[in-house]
Amino acid sequence: MEPILQIESLKKYYGKTKNQTKALNGITFQVMPGEFLGIMGSSGSGKSTLLNCIATVIRPDGGNITMNGRQVQSLKGTALADYRGKEIGYLFQNFELLDNLTGRENIMLPLSLHGVPEAESGKRLDKLASYLEVKDVLPKFPAQMSGGQRQRIAAARALILNPSLILADEPTGALDSKNAKALMEKLAGLNQDEKATILMVTHDSNAASYCRRILFIQDGVIFHELRRNIPDETQQEFYTRILKATAQLGGGSANVL
Amino acid sequence: MFSKLISRNSRRNRKENGLFFSSLLISIIAFYIILSLSHQDVMLFLRQMESNAVNKLMTLIPVFYCLTLFILFFLIYYASKFQLERRRHEFGVYLMLGMHRIKLFAMLLAEDFFNSILALAIGLPAAVLLSELISLVTARLVGIGIIGHQTSFSVQAALWTAIGFILIKFLAFLILSGKISRQEIGTLLVDTPEGLKKQLPPFFYGVSILIGSLCLAMAYHLAISGESWAGVRQMGLTVLLGLMGTFLFFWGLRFPLGFFVDAGKKTRQLKVFNFRQMQETVIHRSGTLAVCSLLILAALCCFGAGVAVFRFYGESAPHVLDYTFRDNANGNDPETIMLTLAEHQLDTRFSDLFEVKTGYIHTAERPDHPFRMESVMAALRKLPPSRDKDILLNNLEYEDYPHLITLSGYNRLLAAAGMPALDLASDEAAVYMDTTFTNYSRTKMLNSVLETRPEILLAQESFYLTGTVQTLNLVTDRSITLLFALIVPDEVFDHYTQGHFTVYFNGILSENATQNTSLMAAFSDMNRKLDDAGLSYESYLQNMSRQLFYMVSSSYVTIYLAIIFLIIANTVIGVQFLMSQQKASRRYRTLIRLGAAHPALCRSSRKQINWYFGIPTVFALCNSLFGVRALFTGILPLDTQSNLSEMMSVSAAMILALCVIEYTYIAAVKRSSDRYLLTLMMPEREE
Repeated sequence: MEPILQIESLKKYYGKTKNQTKALNGITFQVMPGEFLGIMGSSGSGKSTLLNCIATVIRPDGGNITMNGRQVQSLKGTALADYRGKEIGYLFQNFELLDNLTGRENIMLPLSLHGVPEAESGKRLDKLASYLEVKDVLPKFPAQMSGGQRQRIAAARALILNPSLILADEPTGALDSKNAKALMEKLAGLNQDEKATILMVTHDSNAASYCRRILFIQDGVIFHELRRNIPDETQQEFYTRILKATAQLGGGSANVL
Repeated sequence: MFSKLISRNSRRNRKENGLFFSSLLISIIAFYIILSLSHQDVMLFLRQMESNAVNKLMTLIPVFYCLTLFILFFLIYYASKFQLERRRHEFGVYLMLGMHRIKLFAMLLAEDFFNSILALAIGLPAAVLLSELISLVTARLVGIGIIGHQTSFSVQAALWTAIGFILIKFLAFLILSGKISRQEIGTLLVDTPEGLKKQLPPFFYGVSILIGSLCLAMAYHLAISGESWAGVRQMGLTVLLGLMGTFLFFWGLRFPLGFFVDAGKKTRQLKVFNFRQMQETVIHRSGTLAVCSLLILAALCCFGAGVAVFRFYGESAPHVLDYTFRDNANGNDPETIMLTLAEHQLDTRFSDLFEVKTGYIHTAERPDHPFRMESVMAALRKLPPSRDKDILLNNLEYEDYPHLITLSGYNRLLAAAGMPALDLASDEAAVYMDTTFTNYSRTKMLNSVLETRPEILLAQESFYLTGTVQTLNLVTDRSITLLFALIVPDEVFDHYTQGHFTVYFNGILSENATQNTSLMAAFSDMNRKLDDAGLSYESYLQNMSRQLFYMVSSSYVTIYLAIIFLIIANTVIGVQFLMSQQKASRRYRTLIRLGAAHPALCRSSRKQINWYFGIPTVFALCNSLFGVRALFTGILPLDTQSNLSEMMSVSAAMILALCVIEYTYIAAVKRSSDRYLLTLMMPEREE
């Protein structure tokens, strides 16, 4: 099976030579179709930089990002816009919904941006909305929704064009624990039922326990990797293992360094 | 350090916000131009001729100055608001770093002062130059070569310009900085879009549009029918209806816009987003949009009416006579005038010299009513009812003691005008009315009656009216007019006037006297020579300068106001758009993250700009068609209203020209918006 995303010795440096921060210092990994991959690390470990490189928000200084066989850095103009819109779906920590558009209009925004006829995606919208339980808030404006509803609308927007890869940047960061749990269950469900490929950056070990594989990053390199043994390992057991790893990494609450 | 910050900031302000700086320059130029009006060549010239009227206009200048002050305050206010709004974040940072509010205030004041002085330093010379240019161009247009050009620079005007400008600038600054300083640091640090306002059911907005349109229709009906011009109360009602209609219309506009969001194809890129952005602006700014639309309307009406009035005074009453020499007053009869002219070798400079006699009926047995024309009145009464018929009947009812004019004299006049001579039998008379008292439809009515050769009584003798109504001016002085007179054969004239008559001795300048020089110059030259010869005369120059005065003052004032209104409306619209765009920067960033390319964003914001400018402009354009028409009803003399369609076409051309100005403004705002969107794309990449 071909990987969806292939990252090869990716480098991103900030600052001048003398005083350089190596945000990414030669990271290499692959994301296979249908995978739910988590990336964990402390603040400043480079996980957001990695996500931003994949999302083409920033340009890496070295290495390769290959999505479905195409090199991402070489994309320009329409191809780049299409990549951002169709190949990847981005789920933001603070939702980034347009507050003057209704829920439905927010979800339809990528269609309008990329010139996709609405009729084609109408069915998909209905399916996503009922799965994410946001059908009744579709005609409402973001200001009239709860945080959880907003993030689920944002999730529907990220999924509407059926992207190859969903990039989620701390999706539970702005949610309370109840809403965070509901969102993670939905994402995990999408991964299992729809075979959606998800790459999630998170701080939250609880949210990470929904993943199948977790990469730990520190100082710009991959430091450790955890795989959940399905079906033998329960989510609770996996969560305990994650906690242990974070403790060892020194990034979590139990700093033992 | 502090002063360095101030000078750097003010330099940056000028660089980043050309719109703001140019609005400062425009207001300085506007102030100076209105204040230096009295120093313009045309005005100096007219002052010699029509000192009364010119002085009256000059007393109005302080009023215009205050009006300009008031209007330009809004321009400065909005431009400064935009300027300060875009620096909110910066102010927040200063305060976070522990700068005292009073120091921030002092810093902003110093920056403002610095920029104002610079604007004055650039604006005043520019204003002087422009005013000089206007002076020269108008002088050339009206053909005053006779007086040397005088520089129009006025120290007083410059001083008042500076005072007015600094005053409104400071006032706007006080209000705005007060608003900013009251805000919390947190709100200063983040740009938040205005968000949602409570919405009523669409029904209310629909009704609002309907009532608004009805109010407007009523206002225009009142104005065009002429009812509004009858008194202050009617005019007040019309203005109130117009204002209410406009505001209601704009308030209700969110309803059709909401409809646009849902209707039609949604596949067009960012269509929903564009309409939601528009809807938000319309919801939050319906009042401002209405005011801007009213300003554009005012500009269009001023422009249209000004140009039409200019044309009217430029082309009224055919010009036949150049000079009229007075008789009896100085005891000199036509013969002595001719002799004096010949003595000074001036007679050769006239192509034609002739006399026209007028006088009252002076027969020995003088009855109470020497003149009766019952058949004419009866025929007029039978005509279908109209306003003109009433006026005509009213005017003629009291005509029982008319002037008589000699046929020979009038025929010379006709010949000079290149028209066929009148031929009257000894019992026939022709009707004379001055153009001031009649118009196309009244003349037509009377002509239809005259066709029947009605019988009249002149000192109890029967006469028949024949021909058409005659309207050529008898003398050069346009302030001497006859409401109603009869042209009769010379022997009839002599019989009835019994030697009691006035002789007007008219002269027409020969072609070689006016060759190689402007008409104005030819007259001035001739006047000087006639003064030397000791003749008393009335020349066409006085009429011409009176006409010129109306032309220049009306067009000058209206065009000036039109430009000011237009600039303010456009600046306010432009600044508001750019401000709301900046506040919505986060939305644009989201769109970029969702894969919107810069061209797509530019297209979207360009569409929004089109709509944003288009709504008030198109509304004003539609209204101006009625507005200009209503102004004509009110301000143009009655006798020009027959060629109203021609006037309207003149105004239409002007309106079209203004559309071009509007287009340029839109293009400038689009460029500014494109640049801003590019800044949203760039820094993310360089993180």
